[in-house]
Amino acid sequence: MIKIENLEKVYKTEEIETTALNGINLHVKEGEFVSIMGPSGCGKSTLLNVMGLLDKPESGSYKFLETELLKLNDRERSNFRKRNMGFVFQNFNLIDELTVFENIELPLIYNKIPSAERKKLVNEIIERMNIVNRSGHFPQQLSGGQQQRVAVARALVTKPKLVLADEPTGNLDSAHGNEVMELLCELNETGTTIVMVTHSSHDASFSNRIINLKDGHVISEKINKGKTEELI
Amino acid sequence: MFKLNLKIALRNLWKNGGITSINVGGLAIALAAFILVMMYVTYETTFDKGNPNYDNIYIVGRTMPEFKTNYTPPPLGKAIKQNFPEVMAVGTLKKGGFEFAISSDANTAFASNYLMVDYEAAKMLQLLPNEELAKPANEEGILFFLAKESMMTLFPKKKDDKPELVTLGSKAAGQTAEVKGTISVNKHSNVTFDALSVRKELGKNENYGYNNYNTYIQVKSGTDIAALEQKINTLYKNELIKDGQDVSTDRYKQTTIFLDPLKNQHLKPMAGNNAAYKVLIALSVLAMLILLIACINFTNLSIAQATKRAKEVGVKKVLGVYRYQLTFQFLTEILMQCVVATILGLLIAELLMPKFNALFNVSLSIWSANNALLYQLPLILLAITFIAGIYPAMVLSGFKPSLVLKGNFQTSRNTYWLRNSLLIVQFSVAVIFITSLLIISTQLKYMRTQDVGFNANQVVYIKNIMMFSDPRVFEPVRQKIMRIPGIKSVTVATGIPDGSENGSNGYTVNGVEASIDFLDVDFDYFETLDIKLADGRFFNKAFKTDTANSAIINESAAAKYGLTDPIGKTIRGCSMDYKIVGVVKDFKAQGFETPVQPTLYSIKNPCGNAKTQLMLKIDQDQMSEAIATLKAQWPDINKMDGDNFRYYFLNDLYGKLFQKQEQLQSVFFAAALLTIFIATLGLFAFAKYMTNNRMKEIAVRKVLGASDVQILKLLNSSFFAMVIIANCISWPLAYVLTKKWLETFAYRIDIPVLPFLISAAVTILLTVLTVSIQAAKAVKANPVNALKYE
Repeated sequence: MIKIENLEKVYKTEEIETTALNGINLHVKEGEFVSIMGPSGCGKSTLLNVMGLLDKPESGSYKFLETELLKLNDRERSNFRKRNMGFVFQNFNLIDELTVFENIELPLIYNKIPSAERKKLVNEIIERMNIVNRSGHFPQQLSGGQQQRVAVARALVTKPKLVLADEPTGNLDSAHGNEVMELLCELNETGTTIVMVTHSSHDASFSNRIINLKDGHVISEKINKGKTEELI
Repeated sequence: MFKLNLKIALRNLWKNGGITSINVGGLAIALAAFILVMMYVTYETTFDKGNPNYDNIYIVGRTMPEFKTNYTPPPLGKAIKQNFPEVMAVGTLKKGGFEFAISSDANTAFASNYLMVDYEAAKMLQLLPNEELAKPANEEGILFFLAKESMMTLFPKKKDDKPELVTLGSKAAGQTAEVKGTISVNKHSNVTFDALSVRKELGKNENYGYNNYNTYIQVKSGTDIAALEQKINTLYKNELIKDGQDVSTDRYKQTTIFLDPLKNQHLKPMAGNNAAYKVLIALSVLAMLILLIACINFTNLSIAQATKRAKEVGVKKVLGVYRYQLTFQFLTEILMQCVVATILGLLIAELLMPKFNALFNVSLSIWSANNALLYQLPLILLAITFIAGIYPAMVLSGFKPSLVLKGNFQTSRNTYWLRNSLLIVQFSVAVIFITSLLIISTQLKYMRTQDVGFNANQVVYIKNIMMFSDPRVFEPVRQKIMRIPGIKSVTVATGIPDGSENGSNGYTVNGVEASIDFLDVDFDYFETLDIKLADGRFFNKAFKTDTANSAIINESAAAKYGLTDPIGKTIRGCSMDYKIVGVVKDFKAQGFETPVQPTLYSIKNPCGNAKTQLMLKIDQDQMSEAIATLKAQWPDINKMDGDNFRYYFLNDLYGKLFQKQEQLQSVFFAAALLTIFIATLGLFAFAKYMTNNRMKEIAVRKVLGASDVQILKLLNSSFFAMVIIANCISWPLAYVLTKKWLETFAYRIDIPVLPFLISAAVTILLTVLTVSIQAAKAVKANPVNALKYE
């Protein structure tokens, strides 16, 4: 599904140049759950941003279902993103001025889904996420775990082919963290491809494959046997 | 999507209620000022615009060697009509010249602005009575109309529009006339009057020497005005020869005809000055500056608020929203705020309208049907939305989601500089207004306290139409008045010292010829006005020659002729040899703008006008009794004016000379107050934002041992620097502007240093106060909270 080859990304400031991604090669199959790990500053988040079309690399190739994405202009990137990708962030990034329902509805509005269908889709996912009684609340009125559930619901409501998660449990206690990881697993089981950046080996243990980055290079790749066998 | 964006916008504005109200409130106040000025500008630039032939009416004027004038002889109009087919109509007008009484059995009204016109002028200039204007039947027929107010005074119960009989002048000596009907006077016109007479023809028997009429022409659309002007000029010269005028003089050779459009008459007439036009331009610039400051505030605050919206932008972009959609969303939000500000602005303008109308002596109203605001306001709304909104909208919609969603958000160095520069501009404008206001006030104080060389206090000026040029005619009147207790002295002259100009003529002393002013007076003129003697003596009844050929000159006249010992010298002018008997000290009869003119005062003057201006010095303690007695005895004292006793205090009349400056002072006071208010509002919100942003830094510093004072200093320092820079920028500007203004005065102050220091002190004080109020909260807060929050 995803073929990334020789991806390079350099951050330049007035004084220094930092190579965040240094010739990354990465393939992700459809239905896979991949974790990306590594120490701070190794380029995990940069890689995720490039995959989510939020950032542009200097060189390399990024094919998604055989479409080369790095050649797209800003508008085409926006369109591609909203049709194919969902995002889950460490700090949830819910819009404070919108209720739970409205936050989840937002991507559907941008995908020009008619109002009645939007309502149906949002209600479905709210039920699935077990946050029905919270739908009229504002994000500040929810616990961290609940906020992340809303964020996941928002990422899933458009039924994206790929979900990108950036430290989804980073701001949560272990109980809430586990809940979110289980949610992602369930999602993966229904066929959604997931790429997750994490610091936590525990979280990574939920995925099929773990990729380790250091200084912008892929230094190792490990198949999560227990998980794969389970899949088989 | 729009509904959702609207929700986000409203909830955001509600959450930041304080800053939103500052933002919208500041803009509303500035808009109110702008609306008022715009309405005034529209009013001033549309005099006579209701006339259907507005673009085709011209006044015929003459360019003389020294000046331009709109006065033309009546036969010129007729000649133009006969010779040029492109001229469709020619109208002739003449002003009445003096105030007279109109009486009915019930009441008396005064016509101070009587206008005579011919039938064609009345039609061309839309001077139409309520009933249809009938063409006067014959050459002698005069149709006399009165303004509605006067008609109501004279005939309070009148309902119909039938003619009425009135008495003109004193009831005893006056003549009877028929008032044909009522006429509505258009105050928004160049041609105003309180009484109007319409004739078939005006100035019929006058020749080309009678240059005291106005000639208006109406041309066909598309007429080449320059060519017509040339043709009329040639015609005029030929007509003068035919008329037998002396055409050998330079005056004749240098005189030319000009055509001045009706639309220029009010603000920039060729014959006259364009001061009103300049004031209008200055006022417009002022209003735009104030609006600009408010827009700057808006921009500044919106950018300052940007961090709060960063996450929203990031999320929306991740969800696939295009940048232009976000730009449009933010512009719409700003438009909404501007709409609210405009509505508020209209309300504020409505509240201020009575004061504004009084200050500028107009009667504007927001709610009139044909108000130009109807189309101007939406345009302004769009313009300010664009000016105030485009930059924040671009900044906000330009956030990179990969950065802002990680929380790595910082407004760039560019917006930091921009915000600071905008604050500096705001304060610079405020400093210019404060400094200018203080300098204007100092000059006004100087004008009020400076010795003007005469004393207008307790001098009463009485309106009169009786001519007292011969002292022997005036003497019995004087004696009757002097018998009234409390009257100290009485005099009559051709003019009073209220700023009005004197006549001027060529006079020769010792072979030196110069053009100087002259004023015809009677005995006790200098004593009544308490004018100081420099040399010689005042006029005195004991000297028989004083009514024949004595003259008094002022110091400026002595200086002009280079006379060190003027007494006894002969000064020749107006075919007379005067003997100089006294020199008076210069006194500022014309106010402070023009220097005291070299002037000759005489009792006899064959070239002068009639002496009609009565002045009485009355004892302060007996003032009211004396005036009451004067009023009672007036029909006996002055038979011509009879029962129409009207008086004014001379110091009030002289005080009117300061009116223009007092108006300017009021405008600058309002502008200074407004700009400083809006700038402080902006600063308040900006300081609040800056302090909130530095909460963590403040906490860390406190933990490390910084004192409260050190932190207050830290937060104030950057703002302090900005205000100092603003002062440095605006001082030279304010200096140049006020210097230019002061140069319009012949008698003026040197620019003082104090206003500059005061405006610096005021702005610094306001800044430190505003910032410290915000900073104090941060200083008092427990540092642990700020650090835990992180």
